[in-house]
Amino acid sequence: MFFGKKNKDANGKVKLFFASDLHGSNVCFKKFINSAKFYGADVLVLGGDLTGKAVIPIAEQADGTFITFHHGESVTLKAHGDLDEFIKRCGNLGFYTAVMPESEYVRLKADPDAQSVLFKKLVLERVREWAALAADKLEGTEISLVAIPGNDDFHEIDAILTSAPHFDFYEMQVCKFKGGYQMLYCGGSTPTPWNTEREYSEDQYVARFAELLPQVTDMSRCIFNVHVPPLGTALDTCPKLDRNLQVVYEMGMPVQTHAGSQKLLDVIKQHQPMLGLHGHIHEGRARINIGKTVCINPGSVYPEGILQGALITLQGGTVASASLTQG
Amino acid sequence: MSISDVTVEKRIFLRKASGLIRTASGTDTFIYNLGVVSIGLGVGSMLFYGPAFYPTGNLLWGCLVAGIAMAMISFGFIAWTVTIPRSGGIYVFGSRILPPALALTMSLVEIFAWLFYCAIAAYWIVILALAPMFSALGLLTGNESFLAISTWMLQPWATFLIGAAILILSGVILSFGMRFYLVLNKWVFILAMASTVLLIVVLAMSTREQFVANLNELVGPAMGIADPYNAIIASGKEKGWGEAGTNLWQTLLVSNWAFLPLIGAAFSIAIGGEIKSVEKSQTWGMLGAVVTATVAWIVTIYLALKVFGFEFLGTAAFNFLMADGGLTTPTDPAVTLLTGILTKSPVITILASLGFALWMWMWIPAMHTFGVRAIVAWAFDRVAPAPIAKISETYHTPIVAIVVTAIVNVIFMALFVFSPYFSKIVILIEAAVLAWSVILGAGIFFPYLRPQIYEKSPISNRRIFGLPMMTVACFLGFVGSQFYFWLLFLDPSAAGHDPTQVMIVVGVFVLGLAFYYVMKMIRKSQGVDVTLAFKEIPIE
Repeated sequence: MFFGKKNKDANGKVKLFFASDLHGSNVCFKKFINSAKFYGADVLVLGGDLTGKAVIPIAEQADGTFITFHHGESVTLKAHGDLDEFIKRCGNLGFYTAVMPESEYVRLKADPDAQSVLFKKLVLERVREWAALAADKLEGTEISLVAIPGNDDFHEIDAILTSAPHFDFYEMQVCKFKGGYQMLYCGGSTPTPWNTEREYSEDQYVARFAELLPQVTDMSRCIFNVHVPPLGTALDTCPKLDRNLQVVYEMGMPVQTHAGSQKLLDVIKQHQPMLGLHGHIHEGRARINIGKTVCINPGSVYPEGILQGALITLQGGTVASASLTQG
Repeated sequence: MSISDVTVEKRIFLRKASGLIRTASGTDTFIYNLGVVSIGLGVGSMLFYGPAFYPTGNLLWGCLVAGIAMAMISFGFIAWTVTIPRSGGIYVFGSRILPPALALTMSLVEIFAWLFYCAIAAYWIVILALAPMFSALGLLTGNESFLAISTWMLQPWATFLIGAAILILSGVILSFGMRFYLVLNKWVFILAMASTVLLIVVLAMSTREQFVANLNELVGPAMGIADPYNAIIASGKEKGWGEAGTNLWQTLLVSNWAFLPLIGAAFSIAIGGEIKSVEKSQTWGMLGAVVTATVAWIVTIYLALKVFGFEFLGTAAFNFLMADGGLTTPTDPAVTLLTGILTKSPVITILASLGFALWMWMWIPAMHTFGVRAIVAWAFDRVAPAPIAKISETYHTPIVAIVVTAIVNVIFMALFVFSPYFSKIVILIEAAVLAWSVILGAGIFFPYLRPQIYEKSPISNRRIFGLPMMTVACFLGFVGSQFYFWLLFLDPSAAGHDPTQVMIVVGVFVLGLAFYYVMKMIRKSQGVDVTLAFKEIPIE
């Protein structure tokens, strides 16, 4: 059943909504929380990369106005009402804002270490806000929320989310899941050109799966929540980059390559879990089958404030339906 | 990791995170659009149909009018794609403001038109490139087999079979993946551009006298006439071609044939999510393609008219297309045949002809891809059967969607070749232009009806005459698209409005609505509410 809102039966029937790579977008996270009610899901699954990528300084000037940047242009905010609106808009796009005197902006601009400290502070603040929002919205419901970290997520978010109510945050674990299923949690990704927070070589993935797989009691009822997608599939297809991290084009179209994990692909082929949930590659929006395993990457267009996801119904130990959504 | 989320800006602190990369530039976008415009196709169709159907029309002014209107339409689509920078064309735009049934209908109409374009291009490869090439080779070498091949190609079944093979080839290429297609396309584009340059050089270095002398020498003996050039003109006039002077209305109507390929200049809306600095890139990409194609056409057509003569082009095609018993060239008087006669060179004939064929070919996989992307998006939204989105495990391509669209292409080819109802070449384009018009019209009101989305647009703070920039740009686009809808509607040679044709256009819209409601009922029986796919999840 897709989009339906009827009560589920007890025969292992679970409706889950999966999304990934929200990258700090407040509007997408709010939609994610509300999607349970909207789509009638029992479980919300977040596939990592919660945190954003950029801080926009808002520099207060001597005349009381604020100078900042938006869409590549200089923006002058004259009133506090404008300031509040601008901060809200940036938050919805996944940016972090920091109001500061012009002198402080000049100092930070010249000090990468200080920028990193500011970055981390703002990222962790937003993660706390999201955890509080989830607790507020999900309190009193039977809807659960599970999540893993992505390659872009600071390690410091683990402690915040692990202790947050209504936020079941796992990494490198296999846990029970509603309906008598199991979920295998494996965050991070294979190495990227940006050397991000949580990257693991293929050899490390071999070791990681060697640790996780023995914990799975019944692979046919196991859901893989693995941030990186399997290599060489539609789920990990992304633009090829040159040495300067520029997309390689031919005839105006980006040349495509793959950026997933070979080890994950091997594991799925060999062990055939019931379902694979993946993210990481925003362009890799697709649902495929690898043998009997249904694998899904919902993709991400978070800067547009649109939440892409997948609504999946499990029933009787099978994937009864799985559909990509956007809302 | 994404290619389209954040661009490096001043006064912004970035951290080490995946996705901070640039995507398609304005130049990339320009090349993409220009490839779909197909300069060669515009030259071929304008010179073939223009003088024949519109004897008092001015082809050069027609090109200019079409260029201006397409620039206006581009302004509207630039506003749309800047505001919603996602891949997928008008389906993406429509699904954000129109009722679901209407959004899907507009998309279906558009896709039908583009797939019909594929069939037209395959037809033209046979009619305007291959058949004239073999005819010219027959004349130049004296080999009757070439002439026989040319004659055979113009038989309906032969045209259909060759066209269908071309369309199936497009599907095969796409099924191997975009990379394979793009590598192939790179060479096609280079060769097609080279052939256009060759044609311009040949025309620039030639004279009317040279063409007349060669035509009379090569064609005269076969026709048993000493001066076929003037005999064809006289025959055409006798059969009813031509009036004196230049007529504004005919000039506007002939511009339909320039507008037809110019539509490709806005095709980068299909890849909007992959373009960096979207405002600058799309502006340069769309308007650059419009200006370049228009200028190339004006130059080439001016030279062709100088060498071949308007009256000869008009009467030769008129006699070929419409006048029984009228004198004309041994096969259709396409510019490829005439270039072969002009140069008396089999090599240049082959190069020019293949160049035209390649330009026309470029349409086919590009528009085929457009259709594939759209119906996959429908399947994602559950308004089309789920298997359409199935991905080939071997090539990672939507193989079912490719096959379905290839079958539709072949059906259109058959309708085009065998049915008089679909032989009015741009009848479905009329429907697509109307669909564009609806989307552009909706864009006028978008800033007011969807302020929460529009506020994220980089143009949200800009106003023209006190109105949101998108409102003004989409109004211009709406006017441009309406202008061409009515020009096509009132042009019996290009599209027209006889009852059968109107029923075809209306039928496509009705089919779209019926398709949506049937799918909605099917999904409802499965417990699926497809309307949720078009709704925004509440944030409060």
